[in-house]
Amino acid sequence: MKKLKLRITNLVFATTVFLVVIMTFGLYLKRAERGNPHHDRADVRGLLQVANDDKVESDDKAFAVVVHRPAGPPRVALAGVDPQGRRGEVACSTCHSVRKANLENKTTDTLNEFHEGLVVNHGKLACYACHNPDDSDSLRLADGTNVAYQDVMTLCSQCHGQQATAFAHGAHGGMNGHWDLTRGPQMKNNCVDCHDPHSPSFPSMIVDFKPKDRFNAPAEHDQEGQ
Amino acid sequence: MSSLTATPSENESHITSYPKFVGRSLWLATEGSLAFYAWMTMLTAVFLVGANAWANQVAGGMIGTNMTDQVSWGLYIANFTFMVGLAAGGVMMVIPAYLYHDRKMHDVVIIGELLAIAAIVMCLMFVVADLGRPDRFWHLLPLIGKFNFPISMLTWDVIVLNGYLLLNLHICGYLLYMRFLGRKPNPTWYIPFVMLSIVWAISIHTITAFLYCGLGGRPFWNTALLAPRFLASAFVSGPAFIIVAMVFIKRITGVGGLDQPIATLTKIIRVTILINLLMVASELFTEFYTGGSHASAAKYLFFGLHGKTALVPWTWTAIGLNLTAAALFLWPGLLAFRWRPLLVAACCMAFVGAWIEKGMGLIIPGFVPSTLHEIVEYVPSQLEWKVTVGIWAFGLMVFTIAIKTALPTLKNPAKY
Amino acid sequence: MAEQKPSLPVVENFSRRAAVKGAFATLGAGAFVAAVSPLRQAAKNSTAAEFMQQHYQELTAEQKAEVIARLEEEAKENYGVDVQIADDRPIPNTKFVYAINLSVCNGNGKCVEACHKENNHDRDTNQSYIRVLEMPKGTMDMEQGSTTYSGAVPKDDKFYLPVQCQQCDEPPCVDVCPVKATWKEEDGIVVVDYNWCIGCRYCEAACPYHARRFNWKQPTVPPEDVNPDQSYLSNRIRPVGVVEKCTFCLHRTRRGKLPACLEACPTGARVFGNILDPDSSIRWILNHKRVYILKEELGTKPAFFYYFD
Ligand code: SF4
Ligand code: SF4
Repeated sequence: MKKLKLRITNLVFATTVFLVVIMTFGLYLKRAERGNPHHDRADVRGLLQVANDDKVESDDKAFAVVVHRPAGPPRVALAGVDPQGRRGEVACSTCHSVRKANLENKTTDTLNEFHEGLVVNHGKLACYACHNPDDSDSLRLADGTNVAYQDVMTLCSQCHGQQATAFAHGAHGGMNGHWDLTRGPQMKNNCVDCHDPHSPSFPSMIVDFKPKDRFNAPAEHDQEGQ
Repeated sequence: MSSLTATPSENESHITSYPKFVGRSLWLATEGSLAFYAWMTMLTAVFLVGANAWANQVAGGMIGTNMTDQVSWGLYIANFTFMVGLAAGGVMMVIPAYLYHDRKMHDVVIIGELLAIAAIVMCLMFVVADLGRPDRFWHLLPLIGKFNFPISMLTWDVIVLNGYLLLNLHICGYLLYMRFLGRKPNPTWYIPFVMLSIVWAISIHTITAFLYCGLGGRPFWNTALLAPRFLASAFVSGPAFIIVAMVFIKRITGVGGLDQPIATLTKIIRVTILINLLMVASELFTEFYTGGSHASAAKYLFFGLHGKTALVPWTWTAIGLNLTAAALFLWPGLLAFRWRPLLVAACCMAFVGAWIEKGMGLIIPGFVPSTLHEIVEYVPSQLEWKVTVGIWAFGLMVFTIAIKTALPTLKNPAKY
Repeated sequence: MAEQKPSLPVVENFSRRAAVKGAFATLGAGAFVAAVSPLRQAAKNSTAAEFMQQHYQELTAEQKAEVIARLEEEAKENYGVDVQIADDRPIPNTKFVYAINLSVCNGNGKCVEACHKENNHDRDTNQSYIRVLEMPKGTMDMEQGSTTYSGAVPKDDKFYLPVQCQQCDEPPCVDVCPVKATWKEEDGIVVVDYNWCIGCRYCEAACPYHARRFNWKQPTVPPEDVNPDQSYLSNRIRPVGVVEKCTFCLHRTRRGKLPACLEACPTGARVFGNILDPDSSIRWILNHKRVYILKEELGTKPAFFYYFD
């Protein structure tokens, strides 16, 4: 009986020692691995602080952020061709300079000569909130300042300040090219590249590419599942 | 048969006598009746089918399996998990024998150890079958490869499994060798190893559970109860297998003295099967009473989710088998001699129940729903079944040969 | 041969039995060789140099050059294209961070496609490192999401959540790898050495964001579709049987360029940059927007942020 007890005690002791040793060893090595600076596992807040007093490569950016600009004021294609078979294009002012501006107009429903069918869905804005009644080949700001079509972003930014701020910080509008301006330029869209100014909400799109997980072509999934 | 055993002279060196012992054992192990040859031929044939399937899998990529990026482990790892349990379960003979000095158990304890050897061999084969690049196996070898120890639990598992294999090979080899030499085994050469193997058996299964329960992204596995549950079901499946094996050994070879160990093991299963059920119930209560998204894997397992029910039949089969087996084991009459077939049936049920519960019922729901909550179902492919059955056949071959090697010892336990 | 059971080993009988046993063993061995013969074909496709190749981090400069030359040759042989495989290393003082504006993302999936093309993914499966979840407004529970939506987007009552590798600062996938085939580099990108990975897929089980993919078969890419601009740790065509993952397009970003998924995004929802640069867009977002990370409770510390306007 005494021998049995001794044996059990021995066994329990051996187990405890075994477990304690492997656990300590494991934890120690895991710590050591974690502490390795190579692993760069500081959390974001830590990184922000580090970066604040340690300005990294913010200067001498060799390349520019290039924001795409519209070519210029729109040109309106003429209907039909001239006797030589050429198509013609005219500036907005060709017609608008001889017409009185209706500053109240907000929709194309009231128009019967031109611009019919143009969908306008941009808040409660009147046409001349943005178009310039005095110079139809340019735009104008709310305070009356003339703005060239190329600078349309200035116009949009009057109301869409939040987006403009985000855009200025690279958080709106997307980009191409380089994140690192010391190595190459960055190209950005302007507002009207993505938003139709008359109906600016982003268009709906069709999903045309889907991964087919092995044996599970999308068709086999039940959509109603959720 | 013992007449085949030559007794070498006392002063012969181990260097010459040990190879003799190995040769003799192999010779003996391949000696047998027609039924034995038929059995081995059958196993070999099945194993070859599995080997061929595996070779095709390696040549063509694992596209031949039904695993996906969502369910990235399947039948192989399910079987691996179960096999670790079987190996650990073998120790349930060692504990009564060496800790409680159960004399009868002492004589047959080698069956448990041999089972452990066969099971570990199968474990390792299942792991290799699951690798996408078995040709790069050497990357896992310490020193020449790059062994991510101790951070990766898989490296722990590799160590403990191989360690357990060596331990058991040593213990069995030593005992059989001593018998071959006709000497009494020296306790200092094996008792410490036996003690170590007890602790080790627990560690192999605990670490295998840690493989899964350490993964925060898999709520179904991420439970502290996993390791104890693994052990409890291991201590059902291991003894259940040994009981069946002993019933057959007795029937086929007429080895005596097995009835009392059978009774002891039955009593052990009586307790462990209840502990296992209790833990499953406790797990289920936590899942279902709490609800929420953590319960979705359990819901999928038991009732199906969004009309996907591939695992439901498996689970309920397992529950049915486990409950029936538990009821049978609790019936005191089960040990009566005329109920032997029923005992075997109960053991088989417990065994299959544990196999499902720990394999398909544990590994697969860890992946369904996936971490992005996609529900991608998994049903093993034919190739996976072939490889799996092939490995089982190989394991049974190892076990049969091992038992045959040990038969003389089992028949004449009085010798030491 | 088992009709008689000798009680003593008789020499003639012994040798006869030995012969029979030997014959059986030979037969068995022969059958085994036949059974595993498909392996020979597999072995033909891999060279000794490939088999012996050391871990990426242990290669010397010359060895790397040799390995890369070999890989370029293999690409030519197997895919019929001339590719350039570079070895892009992290830029000092750089830590990459990604952010997505969920108010803007409309789930069109152009990023998914761009990733597919840029990274030489398998054409048969439309593989991609990105999955987009369509989620009902009013919940953050991915359980309610679906990755298999189709048709016109955005739907009125949904928002869209693109998920790819979060380049975690505490990556569970790295911890579990038994052979250190995957690790985190100084700029935060978690990479895989496709020539060291043994394909155990433990990392796939450990990643909480479904960011890893396994090459169940050799990827097929028609020669005209192969992106020849490649990097060892990034978009070179992967071998069969190994795990791969998003690398923030390190073959682009480590050369100062933007990731392919960002360039492809028609809504401009994606923002990428160096968090160590106080003037970067990503810093502005982290400072000015209420950002959140996925599955924060797991402690993986993603370098991937989501925000709403
Ligand atoms: S998202 Fe997944 S693959 Fe990527 S670093 Fe985190 S754990 Fe690893
Ligand atoms: S699949 Fe490859 S990278 Fe992933 S854990 Fe295994 S060896 Fe490591």
